[in-house]
Amino acid sequence: MDYYDALAKKVRRNLLITMTVVTLASCGLAYLLLVATDLPPFIILIVAGALAMLMNAIFSATTTKWLLQPLQAIWQAVVHISPTNHGEPAPNIDQLKLGQEMVGSLVNQIYQLASEAAKHTTAAPVLSSEYGFIPSNLPLPLFVLDESETIQFANPAAAEYIGQKTDALIGKNVYMVLDMAFPNKDTLDAWLKESKTTVATASHSWERVRLNVLDNHPTRLFDLAAYYNKDNPNKQSTMLVLFDHTKQYSQDEQAVSFIALSVHELRTPLTMLRGYIEAFQEELEGKLDPQMTDFMQKMAANAQQLTAFVNNILNVARIDDDQMELHLVEEQWPTILESTIEGLKLRAKVRGVQLQTTIAPDLPAVAVDRLSIQEVITNLVDNAVKYSAGAELVEINVHMNQEGQVETTFTDHGQGISAGIMPNLFTKFYRDHRNRAQIGGTGLGLYLCKTIVEAHGGHIWVKSKEKEGSTFGFTLLPYASLAAELKNGDNTDIVRGAHGWIKNHSMYRR
Amino acid sequence: MEPGQSITPAGARPTRRVLCIEDEHFIAELYDRALSKAGYQTTLEVDGARGLELALSDAFDIILLDLMVPNVTGIEILRRLRTEKPDLKAKVIITTNLEQRDDVRADIEKQADGYVVKAELTPRELVGILDGIA
Repeated sequence: MDYYDALAKKVRRNLLITMTVVTLASCGLAYLLLVATDLPPFIILIVAGALAMLMNAIFSATTTKWLLQPLQAIWQAVVHISPTNHGEPAPNIDQLKLGQEMVGSLVNQIYQLASEAAKHTTAAPVLSSEYGFIPSNLPLPLFVLDESETIQFANPAAAEYIGQKTDALIGKNVYMVLDMAFPNKDTLDAWLKESKTTVATASHSWERVRLNVLDNHPTRLFDLAAYYNKDNPNKQSTMLVLFDHTKQYSQDEQAVSFIALSVHELRTPLTMLRGYIEAFQEELEGKLDPQMTDFMQKMAANAQQLTAFVNNILNVARIDDDQMELHLVEEQWPTILESTIEGLKLRAKVRGVQLQTTIAPDLPAVAVDRLSIQEVITNLVDNAVKYSAGAELVEINVHMNQEGQVETTFTDHGQGISAGIMPNLFTKFYRDHRNRAQIGGTGLGLYLCKTIVEAHGGHIWVKSKEKEGSTFGFTLLPYASLAAELKNGDNTDIVRGAHGWIKNHSMYRR
Repeated sequence: MEPGQSITPAGARPTRRVLCIEDEHFIAELYDRALSKAGYQTTLEVDGARGLELALSDAFDIILLDLMVPNVTGIEILRRLRTEKPDLKAKVIITTNLEQRDDVRADIEKQADGYVVKAELTPRELVGILDGIA
């Protein structure tokens, strides 16, 4: 109020001076005319009145401008901070001749109020609508971003999830607040960049996103859904919703790491067992009678078999947890098939079965992940040998099928499979109940084969006749037919997950 | 092999020196036997820290590196070898029975010259692989 009193006093004083000057000037002129001329008093009155009116007009024009200066400065300040401002500059308080202190103080207050309001109005467009209570009460973390990926709104659930206050999130870049790790190169950042340049609206979701949080906060795992619309009001173009699955995903990871550790514990004695059996075979070669030699081979074959089974457990766990990646590279199929079969001959031999391979000439190169496809060959040969039931021959045949794919078949002449159980053969843990007592197995092998073959883009099938035997077959795509998928990659392999595509290039070295 | 002998029994190339960093005594013993039989000169080390020291001396042609070794892990040994000895002559082959996540494995494979699962190979088969390394 001090500023106001000072201003009022100054205005009052200046107006008084002005009016006194006009009055004195008019009266002085009238007196001069009366003394020095013979003009009639009526004319003198008119002349003095005209002077007074002229001076009043001049003074009122300048006084108005002078008096309104403070108001103009305040008006300028208000317009300057208005959202519809189109270039109006901020007022220059220093040039004010009247009420500089009061206007300076008022303008400061206007700017302070505007800045306070800005903090709250960022959330206002979402909250002020009829349904504004929804984001606030949504039990899922919600973030709203502008075009520069700055957080414009975060609901209370989001703040709680991050472990920070809502105010601390607003105005920050989303990647500063959410330090996310994605399972592959399909990241939020990559998707947003692409969406902004190519589309008006888009939505996308990710699974198993990992949130690296500050110290003292456990890592969080969640699914993320994003919606982008560049025409959203108030430039709030991106919405992110987080679905927490920390408990479930951590358990999955622990389960896989538990299996990985168990597999390690199984593999270590197996490595030694296989090593010592080999040492015995080498040292005792030619010194053992045929039966002992046979026993030694059976030991070696069964140690191999156990190693293969351990791999099945591990691979099924990885597939189920979506942690298996296949790296499809150009390979000569006969080379892989024959070297794998060579390693399986001992197992067949100790069961009295001979493996006979026939490979058609001039096969094209195939696109395969060597390690995974070897698991398929191993499982199908092991199965054929296991179910041969005294038959002495398992035939492996490779040819081009009518669809131009490389087809490999495994035929045994054993007991065959009844029609009733055929549809379930490739299901996990499924086993033919008639054989459970006689033939070991877990029902993992064929499930694994199907998943791996299909991830290669091929298919697996079975034909069987009871008491005559079975034929299992699978197809592989020629490498050339996948060439189009490589066009963007600078590496020459294609990466697929066991449950579908992952990305189109990788840095894997083989 | 006789002391001072510098070529393999086949006479194909000079004796190759293998450093085997492996804490499982039985596995080390089996690898030592198979490698020696094939004409390799083997140095065994069960401790990660001493293994790293030996590897940094760069006195070997091949380093068989187990990932689970005490004091300094195999992965750490690999990383430090690549940073502290960028021009290491030896080929580094990871030998492990612990399955890695694919991304971790890719990371290891970028820095190593080979990666084998021990249970998948008998010692003689491993020697066959080393024979094939130039």
